[in-house]
Amino acid sequence: MFKKVYPYSAIVGQEELKLALLLNTVNPKTGGVLIRGEKGTAKSTTVRALAALLPEIKVVAGCPCACDPDDESRMCDKCRKNFPDHQVCLQRIRVVTLPLNATEDRVIGGIDFNLAVKQGVRFVYPGLLAEANRSILYVDEVNLLDDHIVDIILDAAASGENHIEREGISFRHPAAFILVGTMNPEEGELRPQLLDRFGLCVEVVAETDMDQRIELMERREAFDLHPDKFLRCFEQENAREAERITAAREQMNAVRMPRHLRSFISELCTKNLVAGHRADLVMEQAARAMAALNQRLEVTTDDIGKVAHLVLVHRRRDASPPPPPEPDKTEEEEQQPQGPEEKQQDQQTDTEKPTDGQDTDMETGAEEKTQSSGGHEQHANKDNRAERSKETDSPEQIFEVGATFAVQKIAFPKDRLYRRGSGRRSSTKVSQKQGRYIKSIPQNKTGDIALDATLRAAAPYQLKRKNDQGLAIILRKEDIREKIREKRIGNFLLFVVDASGSMGARGRMAASKGAIMSLLLDAYQKRDRTAMISFRKDKAVINLPPTASVELAGKLLAEMPVGGRTPLSAGLAAAHEQVRNYLLRDPAARPIVIIITDGKSNVAMGDQKPMEEAFTFASKMAADQRVLFIVVDTEDPGLVTFGLAARLAGLLNARYFRIEELKADQLVNIIKETG
Amino acid sequence: MKDRQRIYPFTAIVGQEKMKLALILNIINPTLSGVLIRGEKGTAKSTAVRALADILPEIEVFENDPFQLSPANESEVYLEFMRAAYGKEISLQEPVKKMKRKVRVVELPVGATEDRVAGTMDLEHALQKGEKRIEPGILATAHRGILYVDEVNLLDDHVVDILLDSAAMGVNTIEREGLSFSHPARFTLVGTMNPEEGELRPQLLDRFGLCVIIEGIQDPEDRVTIMERRHAFDMDPDGFCVHWETASKELAEKIDQAAFLYPEVTIERPLLFEIASYCLNVGVDGHRGDIIMLKTAKTLAAYHGRQEVDSQDIETAAGLVLPHRVRRQPLQTIGNDVQSMLEKGFGQ
Repeated sequence: MFKKVYPYSAIVGQEELKLALLLNTVNPKTGGVLIRGEKGTAKSTTVRALAALLPEIKVVAGCPCACDPDDESRMCDKCRKNFPDHQVCLQRIRVVTLPLNATEDRVIGGIDFNLAVKQGVRFVYPGLLAEANRSILYVDEVNLLDDHIVDIILDAAASGENHIEREGISFRHPAAFILVGTMNPEEGELRPQLLDRFGLCVEVVAETDMDQRIELMERREAFDLHPDKFLRCFEQENAREAERITAAREQMNAVRMPRHLRSFISELCTKNLVAGHRADLVMEQAARAMAALNQRLEVTTDDIGKVAHLVLVHRRRDASPPPPPEPDKTEEEEQQPQGPEEKQQDQQTDTEKPTDGQDTDMETGAEEKTQSSGGHEQHANKDNRAERSKETDSPEQIFEVGATFAVQKIAFPKDRLYRRGSGRRSSTKVSQKQGRYIKSIPQNKTGDIALDATLRAAAPYQLKRKNDQGLAIILRKEDIREKIREKRIGNFLLFVVDASGSMGARGRMAASKGAIMSLLLDAYQKRDRTAMISFRKDKAVINLPPTASVELAGKLLAEMPVGGRTPLSAGLAAAHEQVRNYLLRDPAARPIVIIITDGKSNVAMGDQKPMEEAFTFASKMAADQRVLFIVVDTEDPGLVTFGLAARLAGLLNARYFRIEELKADQLVNIIKETG
Repeated sequence: MKDRQRIYPFTAIVGQEKMKLALILNIINPTLSGVLIRGEKGTAKSTAVRALADILPEIEVFENDPFQLSPANESEVYLEFMRAAYGKEISLQEPVKKMKRKVRVVELPVGATEDRVAGTMDLEHALQKGEKRIEPGILATAHRGILYVDEVNLLDDHVVDILLDSAAMGVNTIEREGLSFSHPARFTLVGTMNPEEGELRPQLLDRFGLCVIIEGIQDPEDRVTIMERRHAFDMDPDGFCVHWETASKELAEKIDQAAFLYPEVTIERPLLFEIASYCLNVGVDGHRGDIIMLKTAKTLAAYHGRQEVDSQDIETAAGLVLPHRVRRQPLQTIGNDVQSMLEKGFGQ
């Protein structure tokens, strides 16, 4: 629209990206492209440049949905009513941009406000989905798109149709668009469902070839200085490319797919452990487009080979086996013999004091717990004595940060509370006049009036309402609509890190640091506030008071020394204090406490045994429902495990992970099914 | 305008040469797409940006045009807008009133709401006339100007998303609240931040062409000068500004000339190699680094009145362009010293 778009043919390199886009324009059934890549790799530039090359299609004249005049079954309600009495005209395929801040009414469509006021009729004002029919729907930074907009798009993409049922309008129109999105994985990943919607996926990287880089710089500078001259230079080449697309489109329907190649495709897909059948279908369509682009009427293995990568890259499941299940088994084995023992103990204590009533019941319960944990402690003492003497002697060490990975989703479920704040972890309705305006409701409570929705609601009645105030619009109370806004708030993440000597053994601290760093990275993407407490020797230290600077936390983590004994209870006490203070300041907050330890406490704050004390603390802390606890167990999954961290997790009502379980892997189930 | 509070003159700022240079380069060449100023409190970050008003050049605009369109390049867009958004039919034959004014510094407050930034429906017009009309937001006002965000790292996430969208392509697309509209929004993004309060999102970080890291001045003599000047300004702002007027004018003139000279500046191929190898060696994401570095080097040459880029320009440009683009380990802090990064890069 504002001319001077960088010409398509002047883009240096990025052949894969260009190919993926071409395949889609030649054959819309290819199902769109997701462009993933680091910043500054011509992602957006290429898509916008493509708009200039797009061919013209036959449409019903004046139809906002660009209905196909020859296909009655896929027409909007209006065109179908008029069928076959309509005029045909040519229209260029468009690139319709869906900005991140789009509101629901513009995406779906709604009432035509101007017409409603002037003539008192309800008429459809088409939304972006209508405009994008038979065109390209382009979403920049698609991974940042709001969930409810994603839902709308998924819905339309799945059915190829959009139903408008709002503001007294009922309208149905086709919405078969080519979805093109760009994203930078640094900002977080895409929802798997949406990811699968994209037919092809391209990973773009910067050119490493020196000459290419220089060529690129020179061209860009030339374009910025003299855009018109630059455009003229590439006019011819652009025209040639456009011709190639048009020719390929005409041939598209004639391209045949030999039968033996179909089985080749399905074999390729199964080998790569692809979920569902979309990959097969997309690959066939893409291969046919490839053949058409090369002006052949039959698909060859070569065509498939060229497109296979694009189809499979985001669908391929990691074929590596799931983590060995032994540790879980040993845990179960340990617990099984424990169970009867405990019951016996319970019975014993019950028979000893049968008359004392409920209060003592509680007491004995607690006693029982401490007893059994005491037993554990003794076990631990025996087995660890040698190790511990080493611990106390060993000097402080600083371990490097181990490998990082994507972590599982950790968030509170959405509730009905309204809160304040900013971030990306948990969705919440907000009471401030901030946040994304997602939709409107007829209500009058907060004073956050959704003007557009109010006006639309009032519009059809304007002719009837007498107007003597000189205003064009008369609003009544019943028209008022209010905004519902939603934003994600960051949570408060408190890391409680065991930095005792036992963590230093066999690279456990490096792995733990890797895990914490991964959680921190996740915290960054979700805009959390973080704080960190470490405990070692005889006390817990607040390394980092609550801050939004995740970088600082990362730096501190890398420098954290390890050595000394394990005052777990002191760590828990410090965590409790931090959380309590935070909740005093912000009562609606939902802190997440992440405890990273092997659970082997051996320093107490008071007179109790260390383990007992820690467990008592834990059960007390669990009483606060507002806090989510997560225990990350760093114990080596060797032959002898104590499962102390698991017990701690049980007492805290915490979610329990072993370090290796923290990795986000939604695919484990699939692997189990296929393997 | 006379009644407005006096602004501390740009030329009277002591030290902070790198920051001043980065700002000047952006005025000469708006395609550098902005500066990120990182530093502690009280290091004249905001003062410098506000003081820019002093030395900014003039641009031609249509009278009362809320979209700041350029009569030279965007007159067709202007006519289209007048028709689409305001229902005014203007033909090219009758001359539209034009005027010259200084480039504006438009401030984006941290608490700004989405609708004010992107633009929204004009309430008054809707109620009086019963028609939808756009009320342009801050992004429209900032077109061809400077968009200044103080504490840019504290900006609300969804506002950042809008900025990303429009900063990338120079177009703001509104699809909200019943409006469907897009208008050009090319601005120089100037942001200040204190890294202690949290980092910027990498995507937004990359949009800033240049980055300077500033610290408090350590030289006692300079510190005294700062105090003296500030005191003098507070006591008699008018007198102080008059005193510095000549210096400001000279600088403004130098900027004007440099902008004029910029298209003539050439660069030899070996130097292009140098730029590309700089970027490859420190490990920069994507190509924006290369492109901005080339522009910065050329702008530097123009600023120094030369028609040819020399390797000194490239070295200075590297110091401004690369610090925030170096591919960092996750969560690593942004380094100050490009030279040391380079050595590391070569060492590998």
